[in-house]
Amino acid sequence: MKKLTVFRHGLWLLLLLAGLAGCVEPYAPEVINAPPNLLVVEGFINADGPTSIRLSRTITLAQTTLPPPETNAQLAVEVQNGPSYPLRETAPGTYTGAPLSLPAGSLCRLRISTAKGQQYASDFVPVKRTPPIDELQWKAQESGFNFYLSTQDPTGNSQFYRWEYDETWEIIPTYQPNIGYYDTGVGTGKIDTIRSRPYPYPFRCWVSEQSNKVVVSRTSGLSQDQVRDFRLRVLPLNSERLFSRYSLRVRQQVLTREEYDYWQLLAKNTENIGSLFDAQPSQLTGNVRSLDEAGGQQALGFVGAHSVSEKRIFVDRTDLPAGSNPLTGYESCSPLTLLNLVEPFPPPPPEEKAQTLYGAFHDGSFVPIFEVAKGVEFASRDCVDCRTRGTTVRPDFW
Amino acid sequence: MKHLYSFLLLLSVLLLIGPRGYGQQQPGAKTVTGNFTRVPFGQFVRELETQTDYRFYYDNTAPPDSFRVSLEARELPLATVLRRVFEGTAYRFALTPDGRAFITSEVSIEPELSRLFFRPAGTLSEGPVAAAPEDLTPTAAPTRSRYVTVAEYKVYEIGTGGGSGPVTLAGHIRDVKSGEPVIGATIYSENPSVGTSTDQFGFYSLTLPAGRYTLQIRSVGSKNTRRQVILRGSGRLEIEVEEDVTTLKEVVIEGEKDKNISSTQMGLEKLDIKTIKQVPTAFGEADILRVVLTLPGVKSVGEGSTGLNVRGGATDQNLILFNDMTVYNPSHLFGFFSAFNPDMLQGVELYKSAMPAKYGGRLSSVLDITTREGNKKKFSGAGGIGPLTSRLTLEGPIIKEKSSFLVGARASYSDWLLKRLSDSKFRQSSAGFSDFSAHLSHQFSDRDAVYATGYYSTDRFRLASDTTYRYANKSASLKWRHNFSNQLYGVLTGAFSHYDYDITSEDNEVNSSRLQYSINQTSLRADFSYYPNPKHSLDFGVSSLLYNVSPGSLKPLKDGSLVVPNILDREQAVESAVYVSDKIDVNQRLSVSVGLRYSLYNALGARTVNEYAPGESRSENTLIGTQYYGPGKVLATYHGPEYRASARYSLSDNSSVKLSYNRTRQYISQLTNTASVSPADTWKLADNNIRPQVGDQVSVGYYRNFKSNTIETSVETYYKSLRDFVDYKGGAVLLLNRTIETDIINAEGKAYGVEVLVRKLTGKVNGWVSYTYSRSLVRANAGTPADQINNGRYYASNFDKPHDATLVGNYRFSRRFSTSLNFNYSTGRPITLPIAKYYAGNSLRVFYSDRNAYRVPDYMRMDLAFNIEGNHKVQKLAHSSVTLGIYNLTGRQNPYSIYFKSENGQIKGYKLSIFGRPIPTATYNFKF
Repeated sequence: MKKLTVFRHGLWLLLLLAGLAGCVEPYAPEVINAPPNLLVVEGFINADGPTSIRLSRTITLAQTTLPPPETNAQLAVEVQNGPSYPLRETAPGTYTGAPLSLPAGSLCRLRISTAKGQQYASDFVPVKRTPPIDELQWKAQESGFNFYLSTQDPTGNSQFYRWEYDETWEIIPTYQPNIGYYDTGVGTGKIDTIRSRPYPYPFRCWVSEQSNKVVVSRTSGLSQDQVRDFRLRVLPLNSERLFSRYSLRVRQQVLTREEYDYWQLLAKNTENIGSLFDAQPSQLTGNVRSLDEAGGQQALGFVGAHSVSEKRIFVDRTDLPAGSNPLTGYESCSPLTLLNLVEPFPPPPPEEKAQTLYGAFHDGSFVPIFEVAKGVEFASRDCVDCRTRGTTVRPDFW
Repeated sequence: MKHLYSFLLLLSVLLLIGPRGYGQQQPGAKTVTGNFTRVPFGQFVRELETQTDYRFYYDNTAPPDSFRVSLEARELPLATVLRRVFEGTAYRFALTPDGRAFITSEVSIEPELSRLFFRPAGTLSEGPVAAAPEDLTPTAAPTRSRYVTVAEYKVYEIGTGGGSGPVTLAGHIRDVKSGEPVIGATIYSENPSVGTSTDQFGFYSLTLPAGRYTLQIRSVGSKNTRRQVILRGSGRLEIEVEEDVTTLKEVVIEGEKDKNISSTQMGLEKLDIKTIKQVPTAFGEADILRVVLTLPGVKSVGEGSTGLNVRGGATDQNLILFNDMTVYNPSHLFGFFSAFNPDMLQGVELYKSAMPAKYGGRLSSVLDITTREGNKKKFSGAGGIGPLTSRLTLEGPIIKEKSSFLVGARASYSDWLLKRLSDSKFRQSSAGFSDFSAHLSHQFSDRDAVYATGYYSTDRFRLASDTTYRYANKSASLKWRHNFSNQLYGVLTGAFSHYDYDITSEDNEVNSSRLQYSINQTSLRADFSYYPNPKHSLDFGVSSLLYNVSPGSLKPLKDGSLVVPNILDREQAVESAVYVSDKIDVNQRLSVSVGLRYSLYNALGARTVNEYAPGESRSENTLIGTQYYGPGKVLATYHGPEYRASARYSLSDNSSVKLSYNRTRQYISQLTNTASVSPADTWKLADNNIRPQVGDQVSVGYYRNFKSNTIETSVETYYKSLRDFVDYKGGAVLLLNRTIETDIINAEGKAYGVEVLVRKLTGKVNGWVSYTYSRSLVRANAGTPADQINNGRYYASNFDKPHDATLVGNYRFSRRFSTSLNFNYSTGRPITLPIAKYYAGNSLRVFYSDRNAYRVPDYMRMDLAFNIEGNHKVQKLAHSSVTLGIYNLTGRQNPYSIYFKSENGQIKGYKLSIFGRPIPTATYNFKF
């Protein structure tokens, strides 16, 4: 994308040279201001477990809020020439059904009836059985800390794979101050030893992150349905996520070719579009269609039907190769900043000192860490309190 | 007797010394006796006139009185005496039985009319009748140079022998002042109606039955002239024509007179440099590509783009030739300037359909840009000073009348301006471009001539000391032309073209890197033209082209750079072709041109080629292996015929219908997934994975001229289908992509349209109005949904602009003041819009419309220019002119670019107008 920026800058330069004022105006054609309010369907029919579907709506480009959930809809998984299994709204816009066990190869679809009575259904898709993940391993290599996945399907029916992963890692703050700030009155405060028990700052937190990348691969065209050492995730060798303990969980899904194509296109779309020098984006909708006669709005999303297989691995600090030196994640916290309480000379009176401390620490965004001769060394709360980054609740798998 | 009378009158004009006391005299004594020692020629003649009964007729400048005669004669016949006197001089004489002696310089006159002359009417042309007495008064053309006037009334006798079979007259038409060839001049005899036009060397060849003719010569920018010839056998006639100095506009178009009706060629647009110079431009300087864009059927995606879309073809489907050298990037400054110095140019021809068989390798059009040849008679120059650039051209003879040079240079001074700006960011920036071209020609003899051309253009930008961006074209050609006979000549051309760019990033040592791309093209071709008889003109030839591409390399720049080098394999290929075409004049009304070109393409190693699972959409995941081909090993071969045919049927003297069909094949594609051509686009050769493009076009046109050819109208319609042209999957990555084929789709396209043109040719008000309705549609429906666009339906291409109207008008107040108005309207180009946002796969996604489902606002612009010429004295040190112009008179904010940016979680659209208000310009041009 660098070259594109070059061009855009070049244009400005040109305008300047020519002594012209090129003008930029907001551009918002009708279709952007009042876009169709389309139904968005996320999720899949779980062939071997509970199905969970999220419904929402598209929002205008200018909107900054999260898309509104689509509530009070009626959803059901329908098996062709077979039974229908209703889903229940368990949270606004999230619909969950009872665990199912659908035979591979049977055709099924998702039926949606919105609160306003609009009818949608996904195309009938064959149920796919996802084979287990054979191996999930990591290697510290020159290119980074790579996670490789291997799987296979001896029946050769899988071919199209998609992976989602989530990561969890432990963080340990570098500072555990034994002093704290306490209000002494209106507009005044003091520094004192922390005496409260339990100690107010956690020693350890856990952060979790869901991948937002679409990771897909296919084996069609290969003589065997085997994915070997597929590089799923790369971390920098000194990633702070590896500082204490790191865990990666992969959810593997087998797709139909159509669903695979859908995800691949979704992955390729960029946000920079429209100018003369930007790449063409692709438009994609998925397999959910309106059943209403004439004028039915399209829906976005692809509902496939498959089971999921999962694998989790841990990387302990002690597992890392010798010489590894991951970042702590608190590099930006040092050196500490000094709050000078003795200058200018002669030192300010105690009342003023109390007011200064109040001003600095009362709102809690900064915390004192050490008392030194000249005053107080402090850092932002984030350097001490890992709850700003994660949770103190130990994950059950940890 | 009428013939004789005309002839005599003609002679009297020629000789200027009138027939003094001319009467019927008996030829008496015919011998001369006397001793002459350094006797002035006039006195010598008087002596001869007294001794013999002969009367002498000659122009007293030839031979002049300074010509002295020394001779001893005793009863010598007059003929012997004269032979002795003129031996070794340029003077010739002729004696008539009725006692007249004619003395001429260089050419002897034939006092007796050719036997053919007295043939009964009907077996021979009525040519001489045309020389009616009232036409002969020399004062009829007072502004004419003496040379041309004389030449018009002189009767040239060509060849020997008295045969009556067909004979061929050939030669060159040149400008009398500069000696430069006149290209595209027509030379024809009215009765029988036989004509031809000069080629790029000014060469013509005309086959006629032996006899006497008046040949009319017309050309763009020259005064009409004629030559009277008596053809006894095949021979040569060099013709010099005068440039039309004062009435440029009229004559510019007069040269095209009835050509649109009479020629078989259709879909051809010719622009003379004078026409080009009249059209107002944003930066004041004449811009060849901008003017081409005003022609019907030619579009571009945006204002700042010189990428031409001809009749719904992509921008890479135009063969842009500059004196036979392929130019890969014809623009400067991101497309705002064309990279050709207007003072160097002769003109430009754009073939939109009925492409001659000689040309190949691109689907949609040929844009043939030719330079002038350089003044062969005297040293001269021209130049101009504009708001952003200046240019200078010099030309002159190296060996007078034989060889000449023409060199031109152009440079921008934007760098200088930048350095003077207060903003340090701009002071660290630099932007500049320049181009240089040189042309040499040498005429060894009547038969052989050599031409050499060199061309270099470069652009360089540096933005706030971060990234330097540079590109350059370098080309050279050498052409040898040999006339085997009047009916056959051949041209051997060797050419080399090079295009490269690099993007250098130096902002920090760790990331410093250089990205480079280059393409070399070396070609050799031999073209022959053969005129066996008046009904046929044949063209045939062979050509071979070697491509050598380095598709991209990224290298670390400084020692501390951590950039990992990434160098893609070189690509090589040979494209060869043979062709033959014949233009057949079946009869007065019907003329047909048929041609066949056969091209053969071999992609060559050394290279490693990716192989994909058959039947699968190509992607990294279906890559099953690679195959290495050694140096020179053929890795893919494509070949096929290219048919070219056209026909013209004259419905009447001023209307005709034309039909044409052509097939073209293209083996190289430009990879650009942006809407506009950007200089960093790369060219990719066809290989195992990327097929060559094939296009077919059928077009039909109706042409009619009104008011004795002063108003031309035409309606042309076409239908075009394109196969395997390159389109891209969403989000394709084109730079440094080792599996580029996974991002490319071979799409198919169709385009159709109607082009209506009305041209007013002469008068104070002249110019043209055109309207085009055209569509250009693309479909990518092969393979899997991943390879399809818009579900495999036809969609509008990036340059589909259905309605397009152009007016180019000139009004001449006087010889010195004229004004030009230019108006352009077109439908906005298609665009793919982001429509909404939604959440999917743990990320906020953008929902896009179907590809190119919407359009940017319509484009409309009006420009005005005033041309003020200096006085029109022909003899003065330098001629100058000033052009004042206003670009975008109405100040309409036409969209240059529409783009979307993500800002604080919102996606906002913006419209950038570059020339969003009236822009005044002034350019000073001079010529000496």
